[in-house]
Amino acid sequence: MLEIKNLYSGYKELHILFDVNVKVNKNEITAILGPNGSGKSTLLKSIFGLTTIFNGEIVYEGRDITRIPPHSKTKLGIAYLPQTENIFTNLSVEENLKISGYTVSPDIYQERLELALSMFPELETKLKRKAGTLSGGERQFLAIAMALVRNAKLIMLDEPTAMLSPKFASMMFDRIKFLRDELKLTILLVEQNVLKALDISDRAYMLIGGRVVFDGKAKDLVNHEKFDQLCIGYTL
Amino acid sequence: MGVFDGAIIYANLLVLLSIGLTMTYITTSVPNFAQGSFAVFGSYISFTLFKLLKIHPYFSLPISFILGGLLGILTYLTVLRPLINKGASVVILMIATLAWDLILFGFIGIFSEYIGKITKSYATKFIFTPFDFKLFGLNGIFFVSMAVIILLLLFLFILLYKTKFGIALRASMENPNLAEVMGINVEYTRVFSWFLSGALAGIAGSLLPFKQEIVQSTGAMIIVSIFAASIVGGLGSIYGALLGGYLIGLSESLITFYLSKLFGTGVLVYSKVIPLIFLIITLLFIPQGLSSIKWERWRKLICLRA
Repeated sequence: MLEIKNLYSGYKELHILFDVNVKVNKNEITAILGPNGSGKSTLLKSIFGLTTIFNGEIVYEGRDITRIPPHSKTKLGIAYLPQTENIFTNLSVEENLKISGYTVSPDIYQERLELALSMFPELETKLKRKAGTLSGGERQFLAIAMALVRNAKLIMLDEPTAMLSPKFASMMFDRIKFLRDELKLTILLVEQNVLKALDISDRAYMLIGGRVVFDGKAKDLVNHEKFDQLCIGYTL
Repeated sequence: MGVFDGAIIYANLLVLLSIGLTMTYITTSVPNFAQGSFAVFGSYISFTLFKLLKIHPYFSLPISFILGGLLGILTYLTVLRPLINKGASVVILMIATLAWDLILFGFIGIFSEYIGKITKSYATKFIFTPFDFKLFGLNGIFFVSMAVIILLLLFLFILLYKTKFGIALRASMENPNLAEVMGINVEYTRVFSWFLSGALAGIAGSLLPFKQEIVQSTGAMIIVSIFAASIVGGLGSIYGALLGGYLIGLSESLITFYLSKLFGTGVLVYSKVIPLIFLIITLLFIPQGLSSIKWERWRKLICLRA
């Protein structure tokens, strides 16, 4: 569904990613793992067009999308959820959902809204509330609900469980699985909670220093020689 | 014109100008020092249409709205966007608007000479008061400015809160990167905010000659009050511009009037000291402006004490 070929990218003059090759298959969860500063978030931003691409190619459903602007990528069915600031805190929950359906027709919007609210029922009673008053977990749920409303086929999640309580983090992983299993969506997941991420993922990539050092089945990553480096600071 | 109705008229027009300034500041981070000249541009549109085509200034408001809006777009596309794209800082953008203001000042001067020559009238200084109507003993501008402000605020409210594009505009103001992620073309919303800013200034400028005499440098004088209104209200909030516009507009007129009673009419020349005092006090004690005050907390505190 998505293929990244020999990607070199970064911010202005600064190179962060070097010769990155990633393949994301349809209806799978692909995890991007790596220590802090390895370029995981930069990879998602590069796919979405928020960085400087120095070289390489990004192909989505057979189409080269390397140079097209972010708002056009949204129309193609790609949703990107940044790690922070992924909702509009001054808008109400309802307005956030409405604005996320900016590019879809009213009929599809209504249908997707019902689906999103059925998946995140905790939002239904808070539609009129300012999104800035939601808890951390609810904000992440709203961010994913917004991606669903935009009729996304590929959802890129940047550390969706960061700063969540264990209860909300566990709920979040369950719902990411649900997106793949029930809604048949494709997920590209950047996550610090390595073991949980590997548990729900089909494929995994490990980045170190902006380069891919592992590429394979998620279950096989635990046997990689640098796996310990990946897990430093995290509970095994 | 009475003191109180004059103060309300002035405050109504200042609100339109400060909302425009605030809107472009939020969307493009540009402190637009040419906003006063945008208003004078509106004044000259009405003056020209009145002199050449005998269109009463009240009926030229839609034309001032559109041409003012186009001036806003021209300012953004030709001067500011190229600088923003090159990563210009706020200071550079501010200097660019100052330069643009001086260019407009020059053009307005040249135009006033030209229009004076072809209409054989005095165009470097004019006022519309003789052409106003009277109702219940008040000048028509009082009712017209009230109607215009109510209609435009209603229009802004419906636009910003009830339409998809308006919500997109607010989303772009809060977080342009995320808005882009949502599929919103943020650049359109920026261009639109400059259109709206110029259009509101155009309307305010068309009505201003009913309240005071317009000269080439009126823009340079009124910009002090516009900035004070926006900063006192809170540069990051349209609601703040509304609050600041009324506070500065009313206090500038009323305080100056009462001071002139005490110290003589010489005080009137220094009326701009009032908004500047408010501006300094705000920067010292409420740097984020009136809109940042959590009124609900104060209300609860007062209720608890009571």
